[in-house]
Amino acid sequence: MNMRSKFPRALTLALSLVTFSTWSGCAEIQQIAEESARRSGDERMAKIIHGSGTVVSGLLPISYEEEQSIGAAIALQVVARYGGVYDQPEITRYVNLVGRAVALTCDRPDIPYHFAVLNSDSINAFAAPAGYVFVTRGLLKQIRNEAELAAVLGHEIAHVSQKHILEVIQRSKRLAGVSEAGLAYAHQNPDVFKNLIDAAAKKLLDEGLDQEKELEGDSLGEVFAARVGYDPTAYVVLLNRLRVLKGDDKAFFKTHPNFSNRINAVQQVIQTHGWKPTGVLLENRFARLRGKI
Amino acid sequence: MKRPSRLAAPLVTLLLLSLYLLTGVALAETVFVQSKTAKLRSGKTSLDSVVADLKFGEPLEVLSKEGNWLAVQTARGAKGWIFAGKTTPTKPAGSEDDVLAKLGKSFRRTEAGDVTASAGARGLDKVSEGYANRVGITQQHRDAIDRMAAYRINDQEVEDFLKQGGLGEYAK
Repeated sequence: MNMRSKFPRALTLALSLVTFSTWSGCAEIQQIAEESARRSGDERMAKIIHGSGTVVSGLLPISYEEEQSIGAAIALQVVARYGGVYDQPEITRYVNLVGRAVALTCDRPDIPYHFAVLNSDSINAFAAPAGYVFVTRGLLKQIRNEAELAAVLGHEIAHVSQKHILEVIQRSKRLAGVSEAGLAYAHQNPDVFKNLIDAAAKKLLDEGLDQEKELEGDSLGEVFAARVGYDPTAYVVLLNRLRVLKGDDKAFFKTHPNFSNRINAVQQVIQTHGWKPTGVLLENRFARLRGKI
Repeated sequence: MKRPSRLAAPLVTLLLLSLYLLTGVALAETVFVQSKTAKLRSGKTSLDSVVADLKFGEPLEVLSKEGNWLAVQTARGAKGWIFAGKTTPTKPAGSEDDVLAKLGKSFRRTEAGDVTASAGARGLDKVSEGYANRVGITQQHRDAIDRMAAYRINDQEVEDFLKQGGLGEYAK
């Protein structure tokens, strides 16, 4: 009796092909192996190879194209829940110019960033994946100069550049036992895709990102704005003003760390870099638009 | 007495040369371009002519420092000045991650057939439009996201904005 059955040899070959395709980045090779197993009548092996690809795809990060779909879906929720976009052409242009100047020097400058003002009096700012950044009219009213606005936008840009919200999606899909969240999945399972987006929007808008992500946003936002040349102390002044205004507002702190921690994080960055006040605040350029906010 | 090998002198020279080169390498400081747009200039002001346009993540060897400007040499041998705010001592993150992301998409696409997003100038693609339908997002809000994504400001306009504000390399 032949002790070497056909199955282990096929298994070895197929697994080798899958492993090779994993490392070489050729999903086509995985597909060939899967088809080959199916043609030879080994449906079980075809499923194993297929499953290996799914596991691999679930472990890999979300592509930019997929990020665009996710980002637009979350951005829709932000706009719907915060009074829509405030369409004032001069303010839109100004916020986009400041935001893009900051984004040029962030850690992920090769994707387009889009900025809009939300028609809401609440004091807040948000970012969705793929570069959607929002600031409320309420927060704009508290800002005194361009350097402060640059730091606020820098904080949100950092959430995009560090893929903080995508991490939430990755975590949610793992909890939901879903190995994918991309375009293909959204088409095949729109309900599960909707649940993932809803969960991410809830985290972003109601619960807030993890405190360490918010503090990282503050630190990097400070760095990005300083790289452009804005006064590095401007963000501390703004955070102090908001601390006085918000006090110990529990609703606000549901989505953000308390101001003392945030100010400490920013001051730590200033100290590490040895930055001094430069006076580059551009108050006049900002003031010209204040009446239109 | 045994005569020293004829190879001794060249070997000592080679050793000394290696030491010199190694020391040189150890002393040389490398920075990386940390901006989507960065110019290598012939002098240390924004008024000096542009020697080369630099790419994000490009390594530069630092030759000297003066104020907010660095004298650098590119890998292709071009020498000039760059505003220090557009550089970073560590290689910017992202490229490795993006390779993995593309690989992930490749696998997922295999399972999906030819499903594609039509991002283009619009913010919403088929997937996000489908989501909007499911949760009942109004047309007004969908249009807002489309307008937001389609809003165009080019790099030159941003450069002019920086110049007007005296920011970055245009600092007064």
